[in-house]
Amino acid sequence: MPVAGNGAAPIAARKARSGWARVVRSLLGGAFPVGVLLLLAFGPSVAPGAPTTFDPANILQEPSLAFLFGTDEFGRDVFSRVLWGARPTLFLALACAGLGVLLGAPTGLAAGYFGGRIDEMLMRTMDVLMSFPALILAMLIVVMLGASTINVILAIGVVFWPRSARLIRSVTQDIARREFVDAARARGEPVVYILGREILPNIIGILIVDFTLRVAAAILLTASLSYLGIGVKPPTPAWGLMVKEGQQFLQIAPWLVIFPCLAIAVVSIGTVLTGDRLRRAIAIPDGRGR
Amino acid sequence: MSALILRRVALLGLILLAVSLLTFAIVNVLPGNVAHAILGETATAEEIRAVEQRLGLDRPLVERYLGWVGAMLRGDFGTSLAFNQPVAPVLLARLWNSAILAALVLAVAVPLSLAVGVACAVFQGSLLDRALSAFAVVAFALPEFVIGLALILAFSIWWPILPGSSLIGPGENPLAQPEALVLPITVLVLHQLAHLSQITRASMIGVLDSNYVRTAELKGLPRLTVIVRHALRNALLPTVAEVGMHFGYVLGGLVVVETLFSYAGIGQLMVMSVSHRDVPTLQATVLVVAAAYGVGNLLADVVSMRLNPRLRS
Repeated sequence: MPVAGNGAAPIAARKARSGWARVVRSLLGGAFPVGVLLLLAFGPSVAPGAPTTFDPANILQEPSLAFLFGTDEFGRDVFSRVLWGARPTLFLALACAGLGVLLGAPTGLAAGYFGGRIDEMLMRTMDVLMSFPALILAMLIVVMLGASTINVILAIGVVFWPRSARLIRSVTQDIARREFVDAARARGEPVVYILGREILPNIIGILIVDFTLRVAAAILLTASLSYLGIGVKPPTPAWGLMVKEGQQFLQIAPWLVIFPCLAIAVVSIGTVLTGDRLRRAIAIPDGRGR
Repeated sequence: MSALILRRVALLGLILLAVSLLTFAIVNVLPGNVAHAILGETATAEEIRAVEQRLGLDRPLVERYLGWVGAMLRGDFGTSLAFNQPVAPVLLARLWNSAILAALVLAVAVPLSLAVGVACAVFQGSLLDRALSAFAVVAFALPEFVIGLALILAFSIWWPILPGSSLIGPGENPLAQPEALVLPITVLVLHQLAHLSQITRASMIGVLDSNYVRTAELKGLPRLTVIVRHALRNALLPTVAEVGMHFGYVLGGLVVVETLFSYAGIGQLMVMSVSHRDVPTLQATVLVVAAAYGVGNLLADVVSMRLNPRLRS
């Protein structure tokens, strides 16, 4: 994850940054969530056709007014497929990130609050999960569980689990030392109350930022998995899968690859920027990326 | 110092043990059945039983785990179902090819990231700095296959100066055709550069701001000496630590890039064993990659210790 400067920018540079660059940035950041929502809501209904209809009369057509993004080897409209693909791509990423935080937050809370043996046990387990490269662990789990959307969500959720847990643990350790937590303990509040009502509200901002960063990472991971042909089956219009299928026509019909790649790029960069803005707004240290 | 390294190596042993347990558990204990994964969804109960018997899947789990690990330690990585030959020689040849690729990537990416990061920090806020930071966001947000396909389109289709595939025959040295390595290396380097240069930049800005650097400047040392000899030495530490932690993404990236460029490495072997439902090869490959990841982290730790005297005691 790109790291923000230390805020020690010379005055001249700060002035420059508060000019057009800032305007562009906030426009990008603000426009992106709105654009994504619009795409989700109306994508399939503005799409000129269904994503899986074959049209033998119009095979491998170049982009034109009739077919904005061209057609593939079965005559399917690439524009329609890209629009239809938006919803599964984003839902999948949200679900993966959600599961990761849902697993990581309780683990991190428990490890950070209780410390000692419980902390050791939980975090060493997390270390084992961390000792696989992310993409490779996800691949292995999906392959062994069988290819389905639910299994992709499970696999990536497990990949995110230790990464989320580490961040939440470090924040919890800090909060658990504060006086109001001691006070709650002295009042004899049950542990569940202390964790849920005293500590959780204080880390909710970080949970949200963590979630956004995971969404960005999930988009990358799911795109790579579907590009490798793992977890999704044709004729699903998943963007990564569209790239994989279109790659054989790279020489004669590059639009089959260019448009889904552009879609991935826009959504991915947009999510990263949004997450970065949120992180800066809530002002927490870098959560060690993906 | 050497005692510390020994402890770190022992820890690596423990990690490898845990990793082998987890790999084995994912493959054998998760609800998905190994024979099912091999035969596909249309398999009959009899076919499944036959495969289970052939692979010894009907034996108890503990016995199978010990048998698997014991055989691995003796250099027997099992028999590939897809090629009907021992996994070990294939795996080792491909591991070598991947290691060459990864080494070249790091050899280019690390010095380049240091140079770029230092330049951004020294000229903080300049057009150069802002352009490179923007580039870092973009390059880090894009999946490797998107960058790779963009490069293939640009440099081997529209302006054909480089080969778009890195196909090599078995037993052939990948270095024999260096031009075929340029694009795959570039993809991985861009990704690394985006991340590492930003880490270097942030730590360099912090160091340049410190008192000892100001002292060095005030006593009239040339600027270049201050930056290279005084500041960079300390700014180097987070970058080195990050190279180790980031090594997993190089390995994950290898899977995608090797598939994209048809490069005969360990990542492509993994994807091939997935599509051929070759579970023994997959299991061995994953374990070897996880081991490589552990060794990479260990090396980064050792380098950090050499660079930072405070870590040695």
